[in-house]
Amino acid sequence: MIQRGGLEIPTDQPALDVEGLTVTYGQEPALWNADLRLSRGSLAAIVGPNGAGKSTLLKAALGVVPRVSGRVRVLGEDPARRRRLVAYVPQRTSVDWDFPTSVLDVVLMGTYGQLGWFRRPGRKERALALQALEQMEMADLAGRQIAELSGGQQQRVFLARALVQDAEVYFMDEPFAGVDAVTEQSIASLMGLLAHQGKTILSVHHDLATVPRYFEHAVLLNRVVQAVGTVKEVFHRSNLDRLYGGRVPANVPEFASS
Amino acid sequence: MSAPWVDLDPTLVVVAAGTTTVGAVSGALGCFAYLRRQGLVGDVVSHSALLGVVVAFVLSHAITGSASRSLMVLVPGALIAGTAALMLARSVSTRTRLNEDASLGVMLSIFFGGGLFLLRWVQRQSPPIPGHTGLEDYLFGMAAAMTRADLWMIFALGGCAVVVLFLAWKELKVFTFDPDFSRSLGLPSRVLDTLMMALLVAGVVIGIQTVGVILMIALLVTPAAAARQWTSRLSTMALLAAVFGAASGAGGALLSASEAGLPTGPVVVLLATAIFALSLLLAPQRGVIARARARRALRDVPPPAAGGAS
Repeated sequence: MIQRGGLEIPTDQPALDVEGLTVTYGQEPALWNADLRLSRGSLAAIVGPNGAGKSTLLKAALGVVPRVSGRVRVLGEDPARRRRLVAYVPQRTSVDWDFPTSVLDVVLMGTYGQLGWFRRPGRKERALALQALEQMEMADLAGRQIAELSGGQQQRVFLARALVQDAEVYFMDEPFAGVDAVTEQSIASLMGLLAHQGKTILSVHHDLATVPRYFEHAVLLNRVVQAVGTVKEVFHRSNLDRLYGGRVPANVPEFASS
Repeated sequence: MSAPWVDLDPTLVVVAAGTTTVGAVSGALGCFAYLRRQGLVGDVVSHSALLGVVVAFVLSHAITGSASRSLMVLVPGALIAGTAALMLARSVSTRTRLNEDASLGVMLSIFFGGGLFLLRWVQRQSPPIPGHTGLEDYLFGMAAAMTRADLWMIFALGGCAVVVLFLAWKELKVFTFDPDFSRSLGLPSRVLDTLMMALLVAGVVIGIQTVGVILMIALLVTPAAAARQWTSRLSTMALLAAVFGAASGAGGALLSASEAGLPTGPVVVLLATAIFALSLLLAPQRGVIARARARRALRDVPPPAAGGAS
């Protein structure tokens, strides 16, 4: 058992347990009978072609898209009852960065879940937000308008917001997309650090070449879960050829040889 | 020369207080519509309100025997029609392949067309329904007809909207900026969406008497767009938009009172537009002039000294 803000979390429960999950948008199935189990401390990438349902899988795990059938458990409970233990990093491009707000304000949004309705973030929340910005090496930009940020800085702001949530499970949607090499490195080391602390990370990832470097587990997804396991077990050319229909770029490292 | 506001008559005080409140409330509420790119939604609500206003007028005549043009009767009609148009548009776009903009446009046409049709029908009744001649003022507004009871209605509805906006501020903010993230926090997106619509509808219906259903959208969006030019803080933006809206409302009431024949609604909207135009030109960072100057400054900077990596 670990204690978190009045909640007792059984440590023997998997971080994420998905059984027979089907999600549809209109008539198109986005996810079909997906099964997936991640133990605590997993550092997992979801890979798969466009339209494979990668973001949908995250949103179903967050409990924000309705499921047609199947079951989702986060740390042994329905996602709706685990919100305080879950952090979400949406796709950076999913929001309007010209929104009139500051870096610190966006990071403070990570405290809204704990604050509840009507309460405003105060000094304590500000300190937490600044600390998270510090960790993302963004503290000196706390007062900056978000419209003035580079892509890498935007991603750091989103990650700082997730850090403020102080979660056990982190769902990230393409955190490496369109960021510079330095940011990529610091995101990777942040993920490693979180996983080392026993946190669980499930992240949509597009760059096949870096999967073995940044992740320990891989979920191969194309509407159905084709394979789940450690990168060594499942991230093979034959699996990837099947996943992408035989059009895998040549720069994916071969695992048989490593 | 005496200032025109020294000897204000009580009617003008009521009208000016009403238009100022309407401007302030719709300015503040309009910020969220602007940031969510829901200008069209506001337009649908206001145009559809015409149908509700005319139906409420006819019903009040049928039920009480004397038709009423007071806001107490017409506001519920406008609320119902505006909300119905939005809900129908929503259900059409989720159930058919029509996209949201198209279904909003269809509902606007149906409700506004229906409103115009019914308006003409009411005006041709014989014997004529007393008070029917004032009904078409709802097209372009007739602030001068505002009564003390109307003013209380505006205060009550506008006050409620502002209180709700203040209480749910951080939830509305995160929902507007990042809806997926706010859902992941467990915030009920349907409730927030409905709340946002309700605020918009409230802002629209209290304003249609002043500026009319056709121009109401200008009073929602223009102060917000002007305020956005000057600030990058949401709270400052809402306050500034409220100030711009209030100034337009007050200015419109006073100008049209001092110069015979000036229609209040269009003057209010033109004042808001003037503030917007000035903001577009003069704002310190986002303004057209500031940006041109910044570009020129950049061009005059000598290129980095030779030997640099670039």
